Amino acid sequence: MNVESRKKALRFMFQKVVDPLGYKFSPDEETVDFLLEQEVMLEQKHGIPFCPCQGLTRKREENMKIVCPCIPFHREHFDAIKRCWCLLFVTKDVTNPDELKQIPFGEIKRG
Amino acid sequence: MFIEVAKVGDIAPGGMIAVEANKKELVLCNYEGKIYAVSRRCGHTNAPLEMGTLEGYILTCPLHYSQFDITTGEALSGTVPRHFGDEPMPESIGRFFQYAGMLISKIKTYDLETYPVKIDGNSIMIEV
Repeated sequence: MNVESRKKALRFMFQKVVDPLGYKFSPDEETVDFLLEQEVMLEQKHGIPFCPCQGLTRKREENMKIVCPCIPFHREHFDAIKRCWCLLFVTKDVTNPDELKQIPFGEIKRG
Repeated sequence: MFIEVAKVGDIAPGGMIAVEANKKELVLCNYEGKIYAVSRRCGHTNAPLEMGTLEGYILTCPLHYSQFDITTGEALSGTVPRHFGDEPMPESIGRFFQYAGMLISKIKTYDLETYPVKIDGNSIMIEV
């Protein structure tokens, strides 16, 4: 399979999912391209484009929560940090993704 | 030689239909008002592709979910592993699925054939 064609296809499909959720691809094109490439590699290995920034477990139910775009399963967390864990997606109002920090959900809840 | 296989109104936008011409099975896809023709049989295990889904230019096979670009016929992805639920199943059936899954994982997914399409009035013409 051609990696570039698959990256283009994932971008096409993901766009339709994240847009109604209030997210968009990060304006940082280099990061987006790199992350999509990692997802293609994961898909070629596992058959599923898992999040490249979160570890797989032995539990299928848990792994299904990190199939990209995993925003619906982590909505409260990602809405709070205005980005998904990888920084592949940011909320639509974000113009400078470099300002966004990767804060664990536990820290946000502790406030 | 182009031959008529369907009428323009036969395929809704975003839809697909199966047709047969010159002993070949094809799927006609309507992507943003333009008609594309690809071979009907999946490049993996021959499943009928018009029973899958068309999302933009991406056709997904109904059987093992391989995906194809209808504009080029290119195989975009291989199969997706199937999950049969967490409930334990009888051992003999479980062994069958394990064996079938192993076989399926060994089958490559090939590109689809594409065919030139021409619209002539209300007719969709395919060169096969």
